[in-house]
Amino acid sequence: MEEEDQQKLTDLVKELILRLLSCKSPNSASQSPSSPHFQASLRYAVRILSSRLTPSVAPDAAAVAESIKRHLAIHGKSSQALTFADLYSKFNSKTGPGSINNKWAVLYLLKIISEDRSLAGNDPNYPSLLPNIECFEAESGDKSRVSREREGGRVGWDKGVLLVSKDPENLRQLAFKEYADLVKEENEVSEELLVRDVLYACQGIDGKYVKYGSIVDGYILSDLVKVPRATRTMVRKLCELGWLFRKVKGYISDSMDRFPGEDVGTVGQAFCAALQDELSEYYKLLAVLESQSMNPIPLVSESASSGNYLTLRRLSVWLAEPLVKMRLMAVLVDKCRVLRGGAMAGAIHLQAQHGDLLVSEFMKRLLTRVCSPLFEMVRSWVLEGELEDIFSEFFIVGQQVKAESLWREGYRLHSGMLPAFISNSLAQRILRTGKSINFLRVCCDDRGWAESAMEAASAAGTTTRRGSLGYGETGALESLINEAAKRIDRHLLDVMYNRYKFKEHCLAIKRYLLLGQGDFVQYLMDIIWPELSEPANTISSFKLAGLLESAIRSSNAQYDDPEILDRLRVKMMPHSAGDRGWDVFSLEYDPRVPLDTIFTESVMVKYLRIFNFLWKLRRVEHALIGAWKAMKPNSITSQAFLKLQRAAKMPLLLTLRKCQVLWNEMNHFLTNLQDYIMFEVLEVSWLNFSHEMEVAKDLDDLLMAHEKYLNSILEKSLLGERSRALHKSLFILFDLILRFRSHADRLYEGINELQTRSGKSSLASRDNKKSGQQRNEGPSKTSSWASDGRKALTQRAGEFLRNMQNDLDSLAKEYTTLLEGFLSQLPVQQHVDLKFLMFRLDFTEFYSRLGVNKC
Amino acid sequence: MDPEAARTARESLDLAFQMSNILDTGLDRHTLSVLIALCDLGLNPEALTAVVKELRREPFSSAPVLPPSSFP
Repeated sequence: MEEEDQQKLTDLVKELILRLLSCKSPNSASQSPSSPHFQASLRYAVRILSSRLTPSVAPDAAAVAESIKRHLAIHGKSSQALTFADLYSKFNSKTGPGSINNKWAVLYLLKIISEDRSLAGNDPNYPSLLPNIECFEAESGDKSRVSREREGGRVGWDKGVLLVSKDPENLRQLAFKEYADLVKEENEVSEELLVRDVLYACQGIDGKYVKYGSIVDGYILSDLVKVPRATRTMVRKLCELGWLFRKVKGYISDSMDRFPGEDVGTVGQAFCAALQDELSEYYKLLAVLESQSMNPIPLVSESASSGNYLTLRRLSVWLAEPLVKMRLMAVLVDKCRVLRGGAMAGAIHLQAQHGDLLVSEFMKRLLTRVCSPLFEMVRSWVLEGELEDIFSEFFIVGQQVKAESLWREGYRLHSGMLPAFISNSLAQRILRTGKSINFLRVCCDDRGWAESAMEAASAAGTTTRRGSLGYGETGALESLINEAAKRIDRHLLDVMYNRYKFKEHCLAIKRYLLLGQGDFVQYLMDIIWPELSEPANTISSFKLAGLLESAIRSSNAQYDDPEILDRLRVKMMPHSAGDRGWDVFSLEYDPRVPLDTIFTESVMVKYLRIFNFLWKLRRVEHALIGAWKAMKPNSITSQAFLKLQRAAKMPLLLTLRKCQVLWNEMNHFLTNLQDYIMFEVLEVSWLNFSHEMEVAKDLDDLLMAHEKYLNSILEKSLLGERSRALHKSLFILFDLILRFRSHADRLYEGINELQTRSGKSSLASRDNKKSGQQRNEGPSKTSSWASDGRKALTQRAGEFLRNMQNDLDSLAKEYTTLLEGFLSQLPVQQHVDLKFLMFRLDFTEFYSRLGVNKC
Repeated sequence: MDPEAARTARESLDLAFQMSNILDTGLDRHTLSVLIALCDLGLNPEALTAVVKELRREPFSSAPVLPPSSFP
């Protein structure tokens, strides 16, 4: 088959040559195939045929037909163009056996032959046009006249404008020649070389003519080179790309150098890697351009030669898109030069908020890579509680603290490193989740959080592997964090409530430190009273501890959980000289890890303050009740009453009555205060706190609820900042009440003494019988009295009673003033609950009316 | 060659001849048919045009001394 083809080929070629030669010179003698002329021609033809093996224009029959049509139309042969179109369509439709397969080749052939003919026919010495001189049209415009006549004139190479000129003297030709010479003269350097230099500049390399000028800070064409100004400007514009490239490359190599020095973090590295990827794309483009720059434009006619494919204009078109990208990269490099970590990601994200699709796509690609280390860190923090942050780029910083402050101070947010696409609330949740895991691991010795993490990840649709999250998937990140947070929080609260019995401990603190366990407190007060009246430095804490134990055992407290009772103990505060036991005694509760996250030192101090206040209140109450015990109408007093002379009777009555009245007032005040504290303050706050404990979702909530609980107690029991004055007056009142107690004691003691004395001096037998119930003060004292007789007794009694009366009077007056002062301050207090106190104390408006009357 | 194919071929040749006349290539029917056959066989049309041009310009150039070359 091949042989056949070859033979056919040879035959056809021979035939062709024969025909052509015979056409040429029909009269010549060299017609036989064996003539030397023929042979020479044959050889020549063969040479030409074998040299051009591949066509340089794309084989598209339609395109060629189009160009032929256009050519015809341009040259004024529009009717012929139409005919041609018609013919072509018919020609093209012929398919099947017998038709021409290579239609394109035929058309092309015809076109070129006709062109050549027209060219050759018109002017054999037609000079070659320089097709890349664009101003050619303008130049020729002067010499042309538009006319419809075609008398041997030439047609120009216009691209759509019909220009037919009458130019018999070849003026245009001469002009072209001159122009070409001029251009050659001005251009010392050919465009080709300039293009190559620009390509070098775009890679940051100095070319032969275009070098980097450090003063000007750009790539410039040295002034010594003679090029027209237009070219110079164009070169400048193109070299901006080179300058930008230099900047970006400089940043990358800088960062790479600094990396071992730990100045550039993982995010910075990712950024450099992404930039380098973009740059490699850019290199590819430049490589293609460079290879193109060596190729000439494929023109098929031999008579015209062309310049290089790549001119400066073409280059500027090709480089437009890389220029935009490079500019973006340079802007980013500038912004991120000093930033690291999350701040860098945030800055780039801000830049990515751009309307242009190209820009936003580009930024998105960059950001995906830049943020991947950040997202990794978030993932490992949220699912495992690990903080692997060597270069401190993460927005959560941890520090070494003791176990008890792990929750509050162990980790915090570093807002400088927080990128903008992670909102603050999300960051808080992230912080809390990781903190909880660490807390569980360190303080609670709990390992159950790992399953929660797995569950969370599966629920959110990602896995716990690395690299499963990326930028732009903030939604996925959020859902992962929400799931993780939910589960971990629940787990943490479970652990707190169930394993560490948080609620029970809170309740225990309330019962013991806040004196909720009434019987225990009563008993303790009873047995500890005599101890604490001693000066502080004589009291031993062991004894007190023993008393505490016995108090626990004799009250309902003994049925409590031993773990709780373990933690209750006596605390002796540091005392100075002159302190009584009352001032230094307190109870304390020992919270251990992990509960001491909630019951920190400061919290326990607050509890201590409340305890002291309540204890004092109880003490005063106890004192008053003791006075009441003494003030019962008993036989001693009545006896004394009967025994005394008339003169002393009235004072006695008066004194007693005064005492009673004062006692009542004080009791009323104290009872109401006590009730207020017990019910309105402690119980109500506790109820609120229990409600909040039910609904608390995580440890932060719990902490806040507890703080609120404590603070409200402090405020309402006048221990807060705003109630200082009130608090002072309250304590003065307490002191007053205690003084009253001692006075009352003295009064009744005195009465008893009188009684015993009078009892001794009068009918002894009768009194002895009755005085079986008396208290015998001390027989030694009576001896000095017995001799005085009744008058002396009465005198003495009168004196004593008068003294007592005066004392009581002054006490009463003081008390009233103080109470008034106290009550007047109550309404101006901010706290609404103190109004309830006022209401209780002044239920019948007795005091306010008193105040009004006085005014 | 069956008549159908022959007819197609003749018509194609006619069309091509008319097109070539419009374009004023100066080729006669027979030469054109030879050229078409050569194109169909796969020769480069650029090369063929070069041959045509050169051989037409015969009078200008004397037969050059050519080194023998291999035929593809």
